[in-house]
Amino acid sequence: MQTLANPARFLKIARPLTPVLGWGGALLIVGALAVGLFVAPRDYLQGESVRIIYVHVPAAWLGMGGWTGLAIASFMQLVWRHPLAAIAARAIAVPGAVFAALCLVTGSLWGKPTWGTYWQWDARLTSMLILLFLYIAYIALDDAERERGGEGRIAAIFGLVGAINIPIIHYSVEYWNTLHQGQSISFLRASSTVDASMLWPLLVSAAGFSLLFGAIVLMRMRAALARQKVEARLRRYS
Amino acid sequence: MSHWTFILASYALTALGTVGLTWWSWASMRSAERQVEDLRNDR
Amino acid sequence: MKPKTQRLFLLVLAIVAVLGAVLLAMSALKDQAAYFYAPADVAREGAPQGRNVRIGGMVRQGSIRRNADGVTIDFVVRDDSPHVINVRYRGIVPDLFREESGVVAEGRFQESGLFVADEILAKHDENYMPPQLDVKKGEHKSESLK
Repeated sequence: MQTLANPARFLKIARPLTPVLGWGGALLIVGALAVGLFVAPRDYLQGESVRIIYVHVPAAWLGMGGWTGLAIASFMQLVWRHPLAAIAARAIAVPGAVFAALCLVTGSLWGKPTWGTYWQWDARLTSMLILLFLYIAYIALDDAERERGGEGRIAAIFGLVGAINIPIIHYSVEYWNTLHQGQSISFLRASSTVDASMLWPLLVSAAGFSLLFGAIVLMRMRAALARQKVEARLRRYS
Repeated sequence: MSHWTFILASYALTALGTVGLTWWSWASMRSAERQVEDLRNDR
Repeated sequence: MKPKTQRLFLLVLAIVAVLGAVLLAMSALKDQAAYFYAPADVAREGAPQGRNVRIGGMVRQGSIRRNADGVTIDFVVRDDSPHVINVRYRGIVPDLFREESGVVAEGRFQESGLFVADEILAKHDENYMPPQLDVKKGEHKSESLK
């Protein structure tokens, strides 16, 4: 952990890691989605529309996983005043928001042919929409704070408090009556109610999107570090 | 409407979102890192 | 105490406090945020009269009956309890509206206890499988992730 605290050492690892994660992720995504579109079977009840699962579920996991990472980084920033932690939290916000938005849009496109509606205000859909709003609020708050020369501590507190929505999203389908169906895959219990022929392309797709997400975060962290360096140097010479 | 309309729309939007995000992140990283190199060379 | 430890302590305390507050709020919202009433809820709390509500459950096997006019259907919604709700609906149902499958209906209860729906949504369960495995639905459920 402490070895990564040093930006120079971080860059030494991040530079070669970025293309590996990016291309590796792209390869897995293309493979998994091709299988999802053309090879995987249709569902006994939903028919062809089940294929949306291969983009919807990874987007949902990354939207939620993104905020979890953002909250952990915010916690490290607040307690240990870790400079890289602040940069990591900020780097996660935009890709997290994009995947949360993709989850909502693909879910809506899946809802119409299956449930018969694009949108309903049930607990799962509403809490996921709140996650997207939290991302947008975080990005706006962080930008405003930095413009005034702050260290992003208010944004970090917001990131930490907002994490409470993650377990709410997760348990919404068990705690409340919802239109959205219950949980299909539990990593904790290592069980799934998705047939193996659909489960493996889904897991490969999720792995691919996760790698790509990692590459995007690394790129955004590297950009932030480079910008910091430029600003510091310009200050010194002016 | 056929299910495939919804499937293709969701795949297309996902592709657009992820490719756009990756491209934008990569381009802004490249320009920022190039600026650092330029500053180093100017000294 | 070192400032670092102090910050850690304060932050953990704050997280626990927020968590407690949210759990309290969630338990208070348990009923309000329910998207629909199941037959057991209606049996326990009585049928809400004079306002639009949603009910949901499973469409009971063999209960769908098409009326003589061709567009009105009657069916029975059940859940795991012994209670049921009789539903009448006039209109087009979603593709996934089937017997022994989930349904959510929006509408009003009549004095007689009959629920007249003006919108029907299909609710599917958490099982995904190819058509040929349908018959073995029961065995499929606990497949391991490995």
